[in-house]
Amino acid sequence: MNFFLQVMISGLLLGTTYALLGVGFSLIWGVARVLNITHAIFAVLAAYAAYWPMKLYNLDPFLILLGIIPLFFLLGVLLYEGPIRLLERRTPNLELSSLVLTFGLAYALENMMAYLWSPGPRLLNTPYTGHSLSLLGIYFPLTQVYSFLLSVVTIVAIYLFLYHTHLGKAVRAVWQDRDGAVLSGVNLHSVTAITYGVAIASAGVAGVAMALIYAFNPAIHLGWLIYIFLVVIMGGVGSMLGAGVAGLFTGLVINLSVLFIPFAWSNLLLFSGLLLLLFIRPRGLLQR
Amino acid sequence: MLVSRRQFLKQLGISTGLLISSTLGPRVFGLQQTPIKIGGTLPLTGVFSATGIWVERGYRYWAQEINSRGGLLGRPVELLIYDDASSVDKAISLLERAITVDKVNLLAGGYPGTAAAAQMAIAEKYKMVYVSMGGHMKSFLQGFKYSFGAPPLMGEWWYLGVFDWMATLLPGDRPRKAAAATVNNLVGIAVRDSMYEGLKRLGIQLVMDELYDLPLPSADPFVAKAKALGADMFISNSFFDDGVLTIRSMRAQGYNPKIILQGVGTLIPEWATQLGKDGDYIFSGTAMHHKLPFPGVKEVGEAAKRLYNVPVPPQYFLFGYAWLQALQRGVEGAGSLDQDAIANYLRTHVIETIAGRLTFDEKGLPPPYNFAIQVLKGEPELIWPPAVATASPVYPKPPWGG
Repeated sequence: MNFFLQVMISGLLLGTTYALLGVGFSLIWGVARVLNITHAIFAVLAAYAAYWPMKLYNLDPFLILLGIIPLFFLLGVLLYEGPIRLLERRTPNLELSSLVLTFGLAYALENMMAYLWSPGPRLLNTPYTGHSLSLLGIYFPLTQVYSFLLSVVTIVAIYLFLYHTHLGKAVRAVWQDRDGAVLSGVNLHSVTAITYGVAIASAGVAGVAMALIYAFNPAIHLGWLIYIFLVVIMGGVGSMLGAGVAGLFTGLVINLSVLFIPFAWSNLLLFSGLLLLLFIRPRGLLQR
Repeated sequence: MLVSRRQFLKQLGISTGLLISSTLGPRVFGLQQTPIKIGGTLPLTGVFSATGIWVERGYRYWAQEINSRGGLLGRPVELLIYDDASSVDKAISLLERAITVDKVNLLAGGYPGTAAAAQMAIAEKYKMVYVSMGGHMKSFLQGFKYSFGAPPLMGEWWYLGVFDWMATLLPGDRPRKAAAATVNNLVGIAVRDSMYEGLKRLGIQLVMDELYDLPLPSADPFVAKAKALGADMFISNSFFDDGVLTIRSMRAQGYNPKIILQGVGTLIPEWATQLGKDGDYIFSGTAMHHKLPFPGVKEVGEAAKRLYNVPVPPQYFLFGYAWLQALQRGVEGAGSLDQDAIANYLRTHVIETIAGRLTFDEKGLPPPYNFAIQVLKGEPELIWPPAVATASPVYPKPPWGG
């Protein structure tokens, strides 16, 4: 029984982090119709942004987040105002063109980081790394707990922004009906810029959350991108709740599958489940 | 035909000059001859780059050293190492380019085993000697005549040293149950074979034998399973990232088996520098170590520390140096760049390298060997065989953080 509870809890804690990774990507795709492949590399960049102050000055990653969030918001806005807007004016197929552009940007950023900081792996070693809370024989690794809390707070914050602020409602309006939103007086340019800012800021938080659990290096973004796509497509593009549910589902399947099948088949199970879902509900779990 | 005296003296002077420069040129005028081009690929970016860059640095140090001593066959060597970005496809195409377009004279081995295995076939196709880590046993069973592991990094031999040491433990002190988690690729499967043989030999029951694909999303499930099954030996046939995830998961779940074996993650400097105390007491194997009592190892290791400001000479720097040194021995022994002559020389002679004295069988392999290491106070120490041991093994494993 303990074994079952241990893997289930671990899956839930982990799945929330995947959900956070997917939320920002889903936001940009849903609102701006852009496949932002740089999302994961920004998360990696945030991991380095947390790593260096910790290594050099012993600053806790949570403290560093206070700087990462506004910085990455700005980076998101710059991403939109720079290459994306240039591309918007030049292509009739933004979705496909943005995929190519952001793919190239992601590799450029990867190589820049590898050049600056070497391609070797890094670990965030905090005072709570390796420690756990224990309750009735079940272990809650502190790094996973903190990552979970960080993810939940961020997802809830984004949800509240989208559903309980005027600006957030404008973002949702653009996502639901771009032309209608413009006709209603929504400033498309500002709303899109803010969407990018929020999304990349969330990538920054996700990067720190992931770095609390995983070793990272400049090339890791491709591995994280797989889970981003999985969560976004499963949950439904643009759906915060969908991303949350899909993330939890992913974490649970990965962890619980070991009870029934060889662990090596967990990805097969996961992606088979995704295929089946897409046959039944092509828009994903919760996209209306 | 009669020539004038002036013309005769002029021709005599030119002929004499040519004679002098052709015999004394390299010494008098420095290494002015056409360089010997050595081509290859390495993962200088991408997932394997942490190790690939150390192999390249070992290669370049070898080249620098040999050029400072007059070159190879009296000619300077020039390295042409492409970045294959950790992609096997690129490793193949770039090696072929080095051979067919760049017309390199010699080949440098690739990394990791998947790339090396693929490149062995290319080298065989073009009948060029290929000295590398190899791609584990399967790659050496293809009847290739031009490939040599010098030293090889053989997954199938990986834990030979560790299990030889464990055989010295009293049966009552040995672990009873083992749990294994293996990365599902060429390297992991090869290392796992080494594990099967050793466990069987020592009568240790294998209660868990899981495979996983990279990237590993979570080690918690199989660590929890190993703990639930009461395994007092854990074998993590992994690389660095997945190895770290596994170790951290074990610590977080309060699972402290008597002994932990780890695949290849312990060999890179980051295992100690990044993981700290949690990386201690982990066992592994290696075919190369900076404290081995072989001529030249210490000097090359010290050079690595000096050049790159690292506390411990990286193993893969030594591997890179050893692979090119082995090739050098073959070239010098053959006295030419003829590939058949080099291959024949390597097959029929003992060569001295920083990896030891090596002989090669028809597969291009030396006799099976591997050294056991244990990470102690952040440094991988040799613990078996006794002739090379630099520390006594610590067993059973102390509590985490201890």
